[in-house]
Parts: sequence; C-alpha cells; structure tokens
Amino acid sequence: MRRPRIVVIGGGAGSAAAVAELRKQGFDGSLTLVSAENTVPYERPPLSKGFLLGTSGQVPVKDAAWYEQASVELILGSRATRLDLAARTVTLSGGAVLGYDQLLLATGVRPRVLPGLDGDGVCYLRTSEDAAALRDRMTAAGHVAVLGGGFIGCEVAAAAIRLGKRATILEALPTLLHRALGPELGDVVAGIHRDEGVDVRTGQQVLGIRPRRGGVRISTAAGDVDADVLVVGVGTVPNTELAEQAGLPAGHGIEVDECFATAAPGIYAIGDVAAQHLPGHGRRVRVEHHDTAVRHGRVAARNMAGQREPFADVHWFWSDQYDHTISSAGLIPGSDGPGELVIRGSLEQRNFSAFSLDGDRVRAVISLNRPRDVLDARRLIARDHSATAAQLCDESLPLKRLAAPAVTAT
Amino acid sequence: METARWRDTINLDDLWEGDMAAVTVDGETVLLVNVDGTVRAYSNRCPHQASALDEGDLDGETLTCAKHLWEFNAVTGGGINPDDARLTSYGCQVGDDGTIYVDIGR
Repeated sequence: MRRPRIVVIGGGAGSAAAVAELRKQGFDGSLTLVSAENTVPYERPPLSKGFLLGTSGQVPVKDAAWYEQASVELILGSRATRLDLAARTVTLSGGAVLGYDQLLLATGVRPRVLPGLDGDGVCYLRTSEDAAALRDRMTAAGHVAVLGGGFIGCEVAAAAIRLGKRATILEALPTLLHRALGPELGDVVAGIHRDEGVDVRTGQQVLGIRPRRGGVRISTAAGDVDADVLVVGVGTVPNTELAEQAGLPAGHGIEVDECFATAAPGIYAIGDVAAQHLPGHGRRVRVEHHDTAVRHGRVAARNMAGQREPFADVHWFWSDQYDHTISSAGLIPGSDGPGELVIRGSLEQRNFSAFSLDGDRVRAVISLNRPRDVLDARRLIARDHSATAAQLCDESLPLKRLAAPAVTAT
Repeated sequence: METARWRDTINLDDLWEGDMAAVTVDGETVLLVNVDGTVRAYSNRCPHQASALDEGDLDGETLTCAKHLWEFNAVTGGGINPDDARLTSYGCQVGDDGTIYVDIGR
C-alpha cells in the first residue's frame, strides 16, 4: 500500500509544531514541510526584541538534525504557487509538483507595504533576513524612525533606545497600541516610551518619504522628520493567494472550522493566516500571535491524525518593551478594541491588569507587568467562573477564588 | 545530614500541598514545589529565558512559567510544552522535623 503523504506549506513555528505533533501521534507516512525561507522554522518573537540588541541569535524551533531524525522532508527556499484540489497536488516555485493526501496551509502573513514607502533606508520586519538587515542598519544609525505604533513599532523603538539611538514613533491614531489596548491603556504605553526618550508623535499623517544622504526624509502633515532608517510596521496582509487561487473561501484569512478544516476535504489551515470559526465567540477570529500559532499546529495535527478536537485553548500573547511586559489572555469581544475595562492595580504605577467583563464572565485580560494575573485569568477564562467588577478590583481577593468550586466526587 | 552540601531551607509547614516557594541556597535561587505531599527542588530559572518560575502557576502537577507559558511536570521536571525542555533538578529531602534540605551539587 502507498504511504499516505502530508504536506505542510509554510515555515513558521506553527508548522514546526504541527510536524512534531504528527510524528508524536504516530503518523508514519511521508511528511514534507515547504518553506519560502532558506532556513528551518525559527522563533520570530526575538526578532523585534533581543535579536536587534544582539542578545539573541536566530533560534530554531527544532534544529535541522531533528527533521532528519523524524524523517521530515524539508523543502526550503521554495514557495507553493498552485494548488490543484481535484488532482491533490501543490506546485512549487521551482516547478516540482507534490502530491498530498492531507495538506496543511500555514502561509502566515506579510507586512503591509504602503505605496511609496520602500527603497533604501526603509525596513519592514517579518523574517530573520529582515531582522538582520534592520539590525545592521540600526547599528549604524543615529536616529531611528518608526511608522506605526503597534507591537512591532513599539518593540523596535524600545530596541533603538536600548542601543543608544534617538527614536521617533509616528502613529496615525491618537495613541500607541490603540487597536489592541484602546485609548486609556495605549496612553500608558505612550507614557512609558516618552519617559524612555522616544519622540512619540500620535495623530500623524505621513504624506511621503524621499531619500536623503544616508537616510530618509519623512514628510508629515505636521512637518518633516529626518531619520537614518525608517521602520514601517503598519499591519499585515494574510498570505491567502494560494488558497484563493484554489477556490477556498479566504476573505480575511483562510476560513476554517473549530478543528482547522477548510472547505476542501483533507486541507487544513492554521496560524496567522487562518480565520477560525469559534462557536463561543460568535465571529470568525484571525489571531496573529506566536503562542496561538504553535497551539494551532498541535491541535490541527491531532485532527489530521484522525482525532476530532475543536480548538479550545485560551489565546495569549506578550510583548516586552524596556523592562516592561505587556501580556494578555482571552479574546476581546467585538472587533472595535477592548471597550470598557475593569482595572486591578494602578495605571499610574504601570502595574495593572485590565479585564474585559461580559456579564459575570471574564472574557479577556490585558496586563502591564502582572504576568501572574494573566495566568490566573487564563485559567478562569477556560473554566466556569463568576466575577464582578468590584471583585476584580479588590487586590486582597486572589483571582483564583473567582473560579466556580470544582465538582467533587463523593 | 551526612554531607556538607545539604542546606536547610524552609519547613514543610510553610509549603502546603499545591504550593511553591523560592529559596536561596548557596547564592542560587531554588524553587520548592509540594505536589500532593511530594517535595521537589528545581532551579528557579526557566530553561527558556531564565525567568523566575515562582512567579508562575502550579496547577496540580503542571508548573507554568508566567513569562512565555512554558509548562513542566512539577514531579518529574520534564517539559510538557515544549516537551523537549527540562527543569534543572536539585537533590531534596525532608527531615523528620519537616525541614526541607536541598543539595544544589556544589
């Protein structure tokens, strides 16, 4: 009998987790991982943090020897260009055609490129190659400008300051991390960056850039900014082209059910590119976080191995900026930012957890320098619990106490 | 204790079942965990990025590092997520009077 074949398209941490879990589940068919990058899957989070400071190198999820040991075929530096659902084949950029029995799409996202914002002195950050180029550019720079006050922009600005550079953040919205944290918490983050010496300019409209000797001049509605390098972090675009070409529904990400199955039998999608239907949320969610991608990979692999396991892990992420850690668990209901939040701790002291409460249920938490609260809230979110705003604000009450009492067998 | 390397730390009375605590032994920060009466000692630094494990969570046998959610089996020290990680284990004994002794091997 022919050995079954699983092909994984994409070389991120989610793919690595998926192939490892497939082998762990006893899948002993042929297993191939295709990556557009020339390297085994590696950890992306350090790229906007320690990698820029030189305190972290490129960290592989599994080293090359692991793939050999696990009989995982790696096809690196190659893109999937065509997917034929009827023939069950994927065509690669080099011309090779791979047949599959099951296919996992983990094509990720790419930085959104603004028209006219490219060329020498303009950097985007996604891959280790991008990060190496940016690190070299930043090392030589005196002034680093960042367009976009999201997580990438904030982390790069923090790295620039740590490297002893001048740093400017240009953001269109009224504050930093506006979409993720909302105006109130975003202001706290803006305050942190200002105190560290970043020139934070919010509400900025960038009109264009032009090269100048050794750098770029950025024209904004409020005047020009001269910098040695401009880092653009203004969001991402999901890499849905392959799925769309094959006719899979992929409007705002490749549409998958709670078990990661796409509309086509045998084809699954995970990670940043997957727009997942989660019954508890009443909407399709596409989450661009490292931990989520890894958990997706593991659970999708178990589904591909024949189990039926809906994704039920609580979404979680963190961001390190200077000596501060922002971390979060859960999903904010709706898509217009966090809305009304219940604060435990102190915004002024930059030590707080902000809870999104839906009736008597905690839906999400965003913390500054309170990772422990996030762990506790993560447990609550996953279990039956009941909470009031007053209880969440009361620091003498351990969050764990809000869990419904366990049903004890008698 | 027989060898000079065993150091007394806290008493079992101060480490309830399901609890963990950080103590300093010979200048090293050590994590003590009590899982259903079984006491284990590990380096308090997460093998990932050396974050303090006592700031994390102990839920049954599962120890979670608060920094990046790495998970370990608190009884064996083995990694759960990722499964190829491992906590650094230290020798650990509980004396007749409840004193928890730790040997960090130096």
